Amino acid sequence: MKNSKIGKILPPLIGILALFAAWYFACAAGIFNAYVLPSPQKVYSSFLKMVKSGELLRDIGISLGRVLKGFGIAFFIAFILGMFRSLIPAAGPYFEYLIHFFRYVPPLSMIPLLILWCGIRETTKTVIIVLASFFPMYLSIVKGFTGCDQKLIEVGTSFGYSKARVFFRIILPNALADILVGMRTGLGYAWRAIIGAEMVAASTGLGHMILFAQQTSRTDKVIVGIIVIGFVGLVTDRLFGWLIHRFFRGMAGNGWD
Amino acid sequence: MAGIRLIGLEKNYQVEERMLQVLRGIDLQIPEKKITVLLGQSGCGKTTLLRLTGGLEKPDAGEIRFDTGHKTAFVFQEPRLMPWKNVWGNVTFGLRKEEIDEDAIHRIITTVGLSEFTRAYPSQLSGGMQQRCAIARALAYEPSFIMMDEPFAALDYFTRGQMQKELLRVHAQTGSSILFVTHSIDEALTLADKIAIMENGVIKAEVEVPMEKRQRDLMDNSFIDLKRKILLLLDR
Ligand SMILES: Nc1ncnc2c1ncn2[C@@H]1O[C@H](COP(=O)(O)OP(=O)(O)OP(=O)(O)O)[C@@H](O)[C@H]1O
Ligand SMILES: [Mg+2]
Repeated sequence: MKNSKIGKILPPLIGILALFAAWYFACAAGIFNAYVLPSPQKVYSSFLKMVKSGELLRDIGISLGRVLKGFGIAFFIAFILGMFRSLIPAAGPYFEYLIHFFRYVPPLSMIPLLILWCGIRETTKTVIIVLASFFPMYLSIVKGFTGCDQKLIEVGTSFGYSKARVFFRIILPNALADILVGMRTGLGYAWRAIIGAEMVAASTGLGHMILFAQQTSRTDKVIVGIIVIGFVGLVTDRLFGWLIHRFFRGMAGNGWD
Repeated sequence: MAGIRLIGLEKNYQVEERMLQVLRGIDLQIPEKKITVLLGQSGCGKTTLLRLTGGLEKPDAGEIRFDTGHKTAFVFQEPRLMPWKNVWGNVTFGLRKEEIDEDAIHRIITTVGLSEFTRAYPSQLSGGMQQRCAIARALAYEPSFIMMDEPFAALDYFTRGQMQKELLRVHAQTGSSILFVTHSIDEALTLADKIAIMENGVIKAEVEVPMEKRQRDLMDNSFIDLKRKILLLLDR
């Protein structure tokens, strides 16, 4: 038991330590100048300063709020549309091609229009995150909803299930694994869109913090921002994974292991 | 005699512009509380006939007449279990929450020999156990008619024999009517009150098997004679 726990923690830890060691020695050997690659110590002290002043926590909170909001809205729309495709297959063609069209449009390219339409406040930022995380979730959810084995559905029919009961007792649980995989991917994309979203006249948030640090040549702060985004993203991912594990214990693979 | 009467059933499938006549006028009386076995070659239309009789598909012509109220359950050729439900969840799948009688379900699960696996998921069961779970699911529904499509085809010789015995026992207990599809003559002889021999979309012959079920010895002369008769009928 104890052995397996160490075995689980050790490899990732070694990977992280190796990366930090390489970083440390590269700086100590003076391969890069301190502006291009500030040393870990420098980054750490900036990190501490930012924590103390409270700006870092505030930025994390604000960005996390934006990510979750955009992700939540994107998931809701993707789920409803996916459900639509499953319950009324004939409805699919009406929006399917539009969706695939917009799937290929980078959210960043929409920024000029979004600023015109939605202004420079929260709406635009949310829409960018929605655009970034919607498509992978939609594809996965549709795959789950439409990929149900007809033979399983027929089991429901043979027991006299209504259409709604077939959906809730067979199609939905059958799609769950794909939906969860989609949510995980979508969450990742939502985090990755945060810089783009906070490029739009933001004065708060991790994305803004990084962009501002760039303008003021504070590479150390940029690195703090990157590490914090990666770390918070990882923590939210694991938190979701843990919740899902609790709810769907024992069920077939859910993509969050 | 009460039961299901099939009158002039016809079914066609469209396969690439061509009309495929699968059932061409099936007339059959399926007696109540008895086991009727459909015997025939692969592709002769047994599954189609079962699906029509059980109401999963509509016939193109003809009629299916039930003499009494009926509640039908299917055991498909494959287990078709819900992978996200454990044995208990699968067995009770046909029931509404308020219909579940826990003792009865436990009894059925014990009957099919899965009492140790109530909380196991289909992926944790062997093929034969999955098929038994599917049979339990049909039984739990308390049907008056059970449609069974080669339910034991995937089982090995020993489990098959065991399951046949189990089915006979359950049938004696519940007195449900069973329409059972197989292409094994021995299985038909073991289970049937009546064997309907199917060929090319029609019922070619019906053979009554009057022998007492619990004492059937297929090596017995009466069965060997019956088997010879059926083989002759199947041989075109
Ligand atoms: N949904 C379908 N669409 C088109 N053709 C079908 C369909 N279902 C069955 N058929 C055709 O009907 C014929 C009879 O099929 P059926 O499944 O009833 O045979 P079977 O007697 O059950 O065979 P087996 O013993 O191999 O299961 C086959 O030729 C098959 O190709
Ligand atoms: Mg068949």
